[in-house]
Amino acid sequence: MLTLAKNLYDYHELMATLAWKNVTLRYKQAYLGIAWAILKPITLMLIFTLVKSFVGIESGEIPYPILVFAALMPWTFFQESTSDGVTSVVGNTALIKKIYFPREIFPITSVLTKLVELGINFFILAGLMVWYQMMPSIYILWVPLIIAYTILAALTIAFAGAAINVYYRDVGAALPVLLSLLMYASPVIYPLQLVKDKLLVQQAAGEWSDMLYTLYTLNPLAGIIDAFQNVVLRGAPPDLDAMIPGAILVAILLPLSYLYFKRAESYFADVI
Amino acid sequence: MPVIEVSHLTKEYRLGALQGLKQTLINTGARLMGKHLPERPLFKALDDVSFSIEQGEVVGIIGHNGAGKSTLLKMLAKISTPTRGSVMTKGRISPLIEVGAGFVPDFTGRENVYLNGAILGMKRQEIDQKFDEIVDFAEMAEFIDTPVKRYSSGMQVKLAFAVATSVQSEILIVDEVLAVGDLAFQRKCFDRMEDVIKGQGRTILLVSHNIRQVERMCNRVILMDHGKVAADGPVAEVCELFYQQSNTKIQAQAQHAATAKVSGSGEVTIDSIDVLDNAGHPVNEIESGERLRVRIRFTLLHDLEGIEIVAGTHRTDFIYISSASTRDVLPNAAFSRGSHEVEYIVPTFPLAAGTYSVRLVFLDRNWRFLFNGESLKTFTVKAKRLETMNSQWKTVDLPSEMRVDGTLYALPQ
Repeated sequence: MLTLAKNLYDYHELMATLAWKNVTLRYKQAYLGIAWAILKPITLMLIFTLVKSFVGIESGEIPYPILVFAALMPWTFFQESTSDGVTSVVGNTALIKKIYFPREIFPITSVLTKLVELGINFFILAGLMVWYQMMPSIYILWVPLIIAYTILAALTIAFAGAAINVYYRDVGAALPVLLSLLMYASPVIYPLQLVKDKLLVQQAAGEWSDMLYTLYTLNPLAGIIDAFQNVVLRGAPPDLDAMIPGAILVAILLPLSYLYFKRAESYFADVI
Repeated sequence: MPVIEVSHLTKEYRLGALQGLKQTLINTGARLMGKHLPERPLFKALDDVSFSIEQGEVVGIIGHNGAGKSTLLKMLAKISTPTRGSVMTKGRISPLIEVGAGFVPDFTGRENVYLNGAILGMKRQEIDQKFDEIVDFAEMAEFIDTPVKRYSSGMQVKLAFAVATSVQSEILIVDEVLAVGDLAFQRKCFDRMEDVIKGQGRTILLVSHNIRQVERMCNRVILMDHGKVAADGPVAEVCELFYQQSNTKIQAQAQHAATAKVSGSGEVTIDSIDVLDNAGHPVNEIESGERLRVRIRFTLLHDLEGIEIVAGTHRTDFIYISSASTRDVLPNAAFSRGSHEVEYIVPTFPLAAGTYSVRLVFLDRNWRFLFNGESLKTFTVKAKRLETMNSQWKTVDLPSEMRVDGTLYALPQ
């Protein structure tokens, strides 16, 4: 971990340049340019809002469109940085085979790239908040911490996934499918409060309810999305109870994932 | 203090591809059952390589394709990890392996300079400082804001070379990159490399198939062969050894290809072709300027009149060197059915050291091909003395004189 910190510092310029390359490259020769970054969450927001008008999801006092947009921001960031991170090593074969620098730079750069797009989405969020006349509270200061935690969660999958993807490309193909499943297991379309009510208050699954809830919150995204909505929209502190199981999971898996990546790294050039 | 220390470096690759899911499952199952599975064979790309390089040395690494040169560089540049042994390096290494790795086609020249610079380990400030010099050297000022995908390949390489050589590093690794651009630019690259070598006192590893370049730039050469260090020492000695190896290899290949180049009507069968020395013994090698004597034994299927037999020599690249015909001496040669013998003799064969082959043509009076063959017999010509220059600088070894300030010197022949 110490070497990771040192590498991060030593190579911060390279990472910045590579991230700048990724961002610029994505929107080169595209008429809409960077606007594409916001198109995805906005479209999803509109679709979910439409669906909600048929199905009826209890969203509390917060207007549903902004609630779902606030959920989509961390979710899209997590989803895209994970899947980009996993394919980042294989995608840079030319560099891997020619030049050495610590290989963790590739997954990390992918995450950094997506951070830029997340930043752009904040402007849309601000616009929506103005539209719905919502005032941010002091709790908004939590946002950087929540995003930092999201980055760690994304890297947990990205490190191990990127390394395995070098040997078995199946990972890169399977991940988008798994991630879209994970979206339904995360409080994106529905608020976490709904799950809480069902399991903790109504005990819908009988004696299994508490355990099921813990299992649900093992998904770091459950805590992340809820916390993000809390601090930005509800003016409340994050619900730490919902975050702890996921945080423990990340704390255990991230070092393992990173160590595996570092072990596999020396054979990337031979196998890729 | 050595800046590069390589000891007992071995790199093995497993031959064959990664296995699919099914095979992996079957194998794992079998292994769990306690069966011993045959391992896929290993290939030793590097085999117990040891050497050390001092600060400021310019070392050339030469060898045939597949000798392990690039694998060695990959180990030095930390791109790949050794199976056994160790590599120790001091200071920043900048690899000049295949310039242009990491160029993004959609980016402009300017953007690519910054990107490539960062990849090669330059700080942004450093690139800012050197930017003008890089563009100037690459002669790209006019096109610097055009996307690289619109560049010609020569332009791309020029720009990439300019960026790569501006990296300040203690150790520079150069892999086959100087063969870039047009002649004028090659000249410029060459000068820049020489400047880097002589002027800045950096340690340089140069991998090249261009032995002349290695001879000129390096002060030490390592010859690799089948993953091992075959020779390590002064430039002239090691390069000479490499030339000998190359000749043997070309000869082996030429002999291998010999059977392929024959066509004919079947009326003539060649029984044997031999190069003979003065005593009449078959040999494979003659000295430059010696007598060349080729004996051809052949059999005719039936009586033939007015046959013309043409014998000659050619180089391995099929440039015809000499040729002689029986028509000039025996316009109406008649041969009976059965075995015959012809000798083709060149009193002095003044060719430069190298590998040569015999060609042979049989024609009847209507110029119909009875037999036509090339590379029928290969033989080498060796230099009479240790040559001061490479054989690739001349084709024939003619008796020559030099007049220096009015004094005539005959060159040893």
